[in-house]
Amino acid sequence: MALKEWKETTRDRLFLLLAFLLPALWLVVFGYGLNLDVEDIPFAVLDRDHSELSRDYLQRFIQSRYFSFQGYADEERALDRLLTDTKIRAAIIVPERFQEQLVAGEPVAVQTLLDGTFPLHTDIAKGYVIAINQAFTEDRLIDFLRRSRGLTQEHAGVLVRPLSVEVRYLYNEEVRSTWSMVPALVMFTLMLASPLLTALGVVREKETGSIYNIYSSTVSRAEFLTGKLLPYIVISLVNVVVLWLMAVGLFQVPFKGNFLLFFSASVLFVFCTTGIGLLISLLVQTQMAALIITMIVAMIPTILFSGLLVPIASLTRGAKVQAHLYPAMYYTNIVRGSFLKGVGADVLWFDLLALGMFAAAISGVTYRLFTKRPKA
Amino acid sequence: MTARRQATTWGRRLAALTWKELLQLTRDLPLLLFLLYSFSLSVLVSGAGITMQLTNAELLVHDADHSPSSRELIHRFQPPYFAFAGEIRDPREGLRHLDAGRAMLLLEIPPRFHEALMSGERTAVQLLVDTTNAPQGLSAAAYTVRIAGLFGAERGLASAGLSGATASLPMVTSAHRVWFNPTQDERWFQSIAHVLRMTTIFAVLLPAAALVREKERGTVEQLLVSPLSPFQIMFAKVLAMSGVILLALSLALYGVLHPVFHVPMKGSTGLFFLLTALHVFTTAGFGLVAATLAKNQAQVGMMTLFVVGPMLLLSGITSPYESMPTWVQAIMTFSPLRYYIDITYGVMLKGAGFPVLWKSVGAMLLLGGTLFGFGMWRFRRQFQ
Amino acid sequence: MTSLTASSPDPVVRVSGLVKRYKQHLAVDGLDFTVNRGEIYGLIGPDGSGKSSVMKALAGVLQYEGGSAEVFGTVVDSERAAEHVKPRIGFLPQGLGLNLYPELSVEENIDFFAKLRLVPEADLRERKARLLAITRLDRFRGRLMKQLSGGMKQKLGLICTLIHEPELAILDEPTTGVDPVSRRDFWAILAEWQSAKGMTAIVSTAYMDEAARFHRLSFLSHGRVLASGTPAEVTALVPGLVVTFVSTPQLEAVARLKRRYAQVEALGPSVHLFTPERDAGAAVAEIREVLGDLPLEHLHTNEPELEDVVVALLLKEQDGQAGLSGRSGQAAHSATISQSDGLAVQARELVRDYNSFRAVDRVSFDVQQGEIFGLLGANGAGKTTVIKMLTGIVPPTGGEGRVAGEDMRTAGGAIKERIGYMSQAFSLYLDLTVLENIRLFAGIYGLARRQAQERMEWIVAMAGLSDYVRDRTGRLPMGVRQRLALGCALVHNPRVLFLDEPTSGVDPIGRRRFWELLSRLAREEGVAILITTHYLSEAEHCDRLALMYAGRIVAEGTPADLKIQLEQEVGQLLEIAVDRPGVALTHMLAAGFSGAALFGTKIHLLSRDPSRDEARLREVLAQVGLSVEAVRLRMLSLEDVFVSRVMALERAAQKEGQV
Repeated sequence: MALKEWKETTRDRLFLLLAFLLPALWLVVFGYGLNLDVEDIPFAVLDRDHSELSRDYLQRFIQSRYFSFQGYADEERALDRLLTDTKIRAAIIVPERFQEQLVAGEPVAVQTLLDGTFPLHTDIAKGYVIAINQAFTEDRLIDFLRRSRGLTQEHAGVLVRPLSVEVRYLYNEEVRSTWSMVPALVMFTLMLASPLLTALGVVREKETGSIYNIYSSTVSRAEFLTGKLLPYIVISLVNVVVLWLMAVGLFQVPFKGNFLLFFSASVLFVFCTTGIGLLISLLVQTQMAALIITMIVAMIPTILFSGLLVPIASLTRGAKVQAHLYPAMYYTNIVRGSFLKGVGADVLWFDLLALGMFAAAISGVTYRLFTKRPKA
Repeated sequence: MTARRQATTWGRRLAALTWKELLQLTRDLPLLLFLLYSFSLSVLVSGAGITMQLTNAELLVHDADHSPSSRELIHRFQPPYFAFAGEIRDPREGLRHLDAGRAMLLLEIPPRFHEALMSGERTAVQLLVDTTNAPQGLSAAAYTVRIAGLFGAERGLASAGLSGATASLPMVTSAHRVWFNPTQDERWFQSIAHVLRMTTIFAVLLPAAALVREKERGTVEQLLVSPLSPFQIMFAKVLAMSGVILLALSLALYGVLHPVFHVPMKGSTGLFFLLTALHVFTTAGFGLVAATLAKNQAQVGMMTLFVVGPMLLLSGITSPYESMPTWVQAIMTFSPLRYYIDITYGVMLKGAGFPVLWKSVGAMLLLGGTLFGFGMWRFRRQFQ
Repeated sequence: MTSLTASSPDPVVRVSGLVKRYKQHLAVDGLDFTVNRGEIYGLIGPDGSGKSSVMKALAGVLQYEGGSAEVFGTVVDSERAAEHVKPRIGFLPQGLGLNLYPELSVEENIDFFAKLRLVPEADLRERKARLLAITRLDRFRGRLMKQLSGGMKQKLGLICTLIHEPELAILDEPTTGVDPVSRRDFWAILAEWQSAKGMTAIVSTAYMDEAARFHRLSFLSHGRVLASGTPAEVTALVPGLVVTFVSTPQLEAVARLKRRYAQVEALGPSVHLFTPERDAGAAVAEIREVLGDLPLEHLHTNEPELEDVVVALLLKEQDGQAGLSGRSGQAAHSATISQSDGLAVQARELVRDYNSFRAVDRVSFDVQQGEIFGLLGANGAGKTTVIKMLTGIVPPTGGEGRVAGEDMRTAGGAIKERIGYMSQAFSLYLDLTVLENIRLFAGIYGLARRQAQERMEWIVAMAGLSDYVRDRTGRLPMGVRQRLALGCALVHNPRVLFLDEPTSGVDPIGRRRFWELLSRLAREEGVAILITTHYLSEAEHCDRLALMYAGRIVAEGTPADLKIQLEQEVGQLLEIAVDRPGVALTHMLAAGFSGAALFGTKIHLLSRDPSRDEARLREVLAQVGLSVEAVRLRMLSLEDVFVSRVMALERAAQKEGQV
C-alpha cells in the first residue's frame, strides 16, 4: 500500500521536487528575510527652534538605527500629509524656545506624531522616543547639576542615574533574531508543507473512483490509512533532518538539546500534521476544497497561535484555548527548548505527551471517519 | 455582425462562464462553510485574541533586599506589559522556571539596594531574559531599563533634594499624539490583517484550483473548441471568485470589523471595494500562472503555497516592512499584498483617497496585467 | 476444483427485495435474482436502471436500504460482513481504467493489486504471465498506465481484478469504450477463468451482442427485473422477425413504416425493421402493404437478436408515453438553411508526435457537408488525436487540418461557432445540474435567452433527459451523461460535428435514437459529422469509413466497399453453431483454421472455399466428439472486417518485431 503511494508520488517529479524544495527554500528566505525587529522607522522633523540644542537632540534620532530620517518639514500640515501618505511613520516637532527653556532648567514637552495603524510598531517607536528622551534628559540634568550645584560630572551622574540594569540574555546570548526564528521556522515549514502532501490523497481517489479498489479489497482501514500516510511521513522526516542541518550548519544556531528527543518529537509532530491533511481529505468531496481548507487550517493558526511570532502568554483567553487545541504550539516549545535552551524530557514531557495525544486523537478520528461501505 | 452585437455576445459568454463558476462553488458545501468561517468567526478570534505588543511578560522576582525601595520598584512592573509570576527564594529555582518556559523574566534585586539608593551610591539590579523569542525579549528588557531608569532618576534626584521641584529641572518629555488609531487598539490592526490574509489566500487558490480542475477533468477542451478566448476562460474565473471574495469581505466588514471591533471606515467604501477587486485580480494572476504550469491539484497546491507563504509573512503585516533587508523589499515589490496593505489601512484608517494611493494602484495594475498576460500566454502554450 | 456446468444449482449470490435510494431518487426497487456457481451472469438494461448500484451493494462497497444481498451465504449488510466476503470477490468499477493508478506502470499496477490481496509471489508471477499473454499486454509491462489506450486500460483493469483469483468477479460495464479486438481478449480471459478456475461472474454490459455470451441474464429497468433467463429464453419473450431490405426513397419509406412499426431503422442504404409477425411470408406481405407504391428489394429475414428484443421490451414498458421516435421527430425543426455542398473537413498528411512516439502518421481524408464519416480503429490507433488536431486543441506536428477551409489553430470565433465537439472523456461539469450545463453552453455560444430556452427544450426532448433535468450530472448514469454531452455539443446548431465515441456506454434505445438524429442532421440539414465508435453495428450508419491502425489509415470506403474488399481478399463468412464453442474453437485453431473467432456463442470463420472448409471442420470437430449444430453462410459484418484487418496487421507487426 505504502509502496504504491510512494511510487505514485515519486512519479510526479514536479510535486516531489516542490515537496523537498519548499521547506528548505522557505527556511532560507524567512531565516534571512523575516526580520521582526522594528528598525528604520521613517520619520520627519519640524524644528521650530533651530538652536544648537535642538539640533543635538534631533541628531540623536537621525543617528539611531531605529529611525530613518526622511527630511525636515516647514509646517505641521506637511507632516500631516506625509503621515497620511505613509511616507513617514513618525514625526517630531521641536517647540520654539526649546534651548532657552532647557538652559533655564525648565522642562520641555516635545511633540511626537505617530502613525497608529500598526499598534505594535507605534508602541515600539514610542519606546525608542522615550529612551532617547531619557538619555538626552540625563545629559541635560548632569549639565544642569554641574552648572547650578557645582557638582563633578561623576557625582552628578550618580545622582541622575543611580540605578542601572544588568541584562543577561539567556539561551540566545547575542539576541539574534535568526536564532530565535530559525528553530520556529522548522516548525512552521513542517506545519505548512506536510498536511498539503496528504490532503489530496483520499479525495483524489474519491474523485477518480479508484477508491473502489480499496473499498472492495481486503485491505483493512488501518492498513489503508497508514499506507496513505507513510510515504509523506518519510518525506517530512527527511525534511526534518535537512532543516536541522541547515539550521545548525547554515544559520549556526546552537543545538543544545538531545537530538533523539528532538527527532522523536518530530516524528510525532509530522504524524499529526500529515494526519490533519488526511483528515481533511476524508471530510471533503473535492480536491479544490481539500486544498484550500488545508492551506488555511495549516497556515493561519500556525502564524498566529503557535508561538512563532506571538508568545502564547500574550494571547487572550480565547486565543490561548485555540493555541492549546493545535499541535504546533507544543512542537514550538520542543524545538526552541531543544535548540536554544538545551532542556530535556524532564521539562518537555508535557509537550511530548500532548503531541502524542494529538497523534492518537487524529488517527482515532480518521479511523472512525473512513468507511469502506459508504452510503452513496 | 455589428460591433454592438459582438459586444453583447462577448458579454453573454462571459456571464455564462462566470455564472458557472459561481454555481460550482455553491455545490461545494464544505468549502463554502469554510469560506464563511474564515471571514467571520476566524476574524473574530484572531482579531480579539492577539497582541503583538509586549503583554503579560511573566516576571519572577528574587528580592534579596525586601525593602521599601525594592517593593516600590517591583510595583512599577505593571500589566498589561508585565504579569507578576511570583517571588522566589533561590535564583537557581528561577532558572528552572525559565527553562520550563513558565516565566520570561527574572529580576534580581541585590541586598542593600535600598541603602545604596538612599545614600546616593550607584547600584544595579540584574535581569535575566529568555530570548528564545528575540524581539519579545528585547522589548521586555527595554521596558525594564526604562522603568529602572525612571525610578533611579527619581530616587537619585530626591536624595539630592530635588524631588519636589521637578518643574524646575531641564527634562525633555514627549507628548505623543497617535494618529489614525488614537487608542492604539490592536484589534483594529489584527482584524484587518486577518481579513487581508484570508482575502489573499482565497484569491490565489480559488481560481487556480478551478482552472486545474478543468484541466484534470478535460472540460477545458470543450471550452477550447468553443469560440471562447483564453482571456474569457480565465477572466470569468477571476470575476466569479472576486465576487465571492468581495461578498465574504463585506461579511467580515459589516459583521465583525464594524460592529464588534468598531474599526472605522474613514475613506470611501466604494473605493475600498474597487481596490479589493483589483487586489483579487492581481493575486489571482499568480494562481492562474501556477495553474497553467501545474498538471494536477497537488502541484498547484504546492506552487501556490510557495508563493503565498512569503507573501503573507514578508509583505508587511506580520513584520515591519521598513526594517526588512533590501533584497526582501525588492522581492516584495512583486507582492500585490504589499500594496494592498497600504491601500486597506490607508482607506480604512487614514481616509486616504485615490490621489494618495495612485502609486500603489498603478503598481498593482501593472503587476496584475503582466501576470494575466503571462498566464494567458502559458495557457495557450500548454496545449501545444 | 472440478469443472462445473453452468446450470448446477449452487447459489453464490442471492439478491432478494433489494432497495437502494439516493436521496429522493429510487435506484433499485425490490430486486430479486440468484447466481449459481460457475455461471457468467449478465445484468443488462438501460442507463439508470440500477445495475451499478446492485453490483456495488454485492461487492460490499455501498450501503443499501432494504432487502438483502447475500454472497457466499453471508448477508452483506455491515462492514464486518462485507470484509468477510471480500477476499473471495473481485470488483471492477465502471469507467475506463478509473480504478487504476495512472502514475504506475502496467506491472506495478498488477503488483499493487496483488499485494493488496496478499497473493503469494510465485502465484503472482505465474498468473501475471498468463493474463498478460492472453491480453497481449506483455509487451507493455513497463509502460505507465496513463500512456495506455482505453482498451488496454480496461484489460489491465480486468487483470488487476482477477489477479487474486476471486471466486466471484463483479464487473461493471467492463467493455464499454473498448474496441472489438480488445473486447475479444476480454471475453477470452473471462471464459478461461470461468472454465479453468470455476469462477462465477456478474457482468453488466451495454453491448447486446455480448449479452448472448451470458449463461443467464436479468434485464433491469427502473430498478426492477423486467425479464430474466438464458439469452434464448429472453429472446423468446418477444417473438417476431427482423426484416432487412432496400427501399427508395429511404426517408419516405422509413416515415411510412414508422406509422406502423415501433422499431424501424435506416442502416446505410437499407432499412432494418422488427415485426412481431413470426411468419416470414405474412411479415413481408404486411410490409409491402405499408410501403404501398415504394419498391422493396434485397430482402432478408432473420431471427431477432437480443438487441431487438431488448428494444421491444423497453418500448413495451414505455408504452403510453409518447412514441420515442415521434418525440424526437417533431423536435428537430429548428434548422437553419442548409448548405449541403462543399468540403467541411479536410485532413492533409496530418502527423502528430508525442516525444518519440508517432501517434498519427500522415492521415488524409475529406468529409463533405452532409456526410457522416466514421473513423474506426482499436483503442490507441490515433483517432482521438486526429479529432483533437482538427478541432484545434492539439497542434499537428506536420500536415494540416482544415474545417470549412480554415485552419483550426488560427480560426476565429466565427468558425468555432460553427463546430460542435464531444470529447471521449466525458467533459461536462459534474457538479452542475443537467439544465445548468445546457444553459452554460448556450451562454458560451452566445445564444440569446429565448433562443437558449428553445434549444434547451429541444435537447431535453432529443436526449430524453426530462427525468433528470434537476439532477447533478455527477450522479447520472454514464449513458445519460453521454446523451447530455451530445446535447451540449448540439446546442448552437453546429454545421460540423466532431463526435469522439459518443455512444460509449449508451443503451440500445439511446443509441438508436441518437443515430436517427444524426442521420436527420446530415440528410436534412447538411451537417457534416466526423464520428468514432466501437460499436461496429453502428458504423453501418456511416456514409464512409476509414479504418486506422497504429496512426495510419489502412482502409477507406463505404461500409459496403469495405466488406466487398475483404470478401475478395479473404473469402466468405461461415457461421458455425456448436454445443461447446470455446472448446471447439481451440481445436479448430489447432487444426489450422487460423481466422476462426468466437462471436457470441457462435464461431465465425472466413473462407475462400466454403464448402471444402465446412466439410473439413465438421470432420475435425467430430473427431473430438463435438457435435456441429449448423453451419451457414452469412453476410460479412463490419465487425468481421475490423477484426480480421486489425488481427492481420497485428500479426504482421509482431512478425516484424520478432525479426
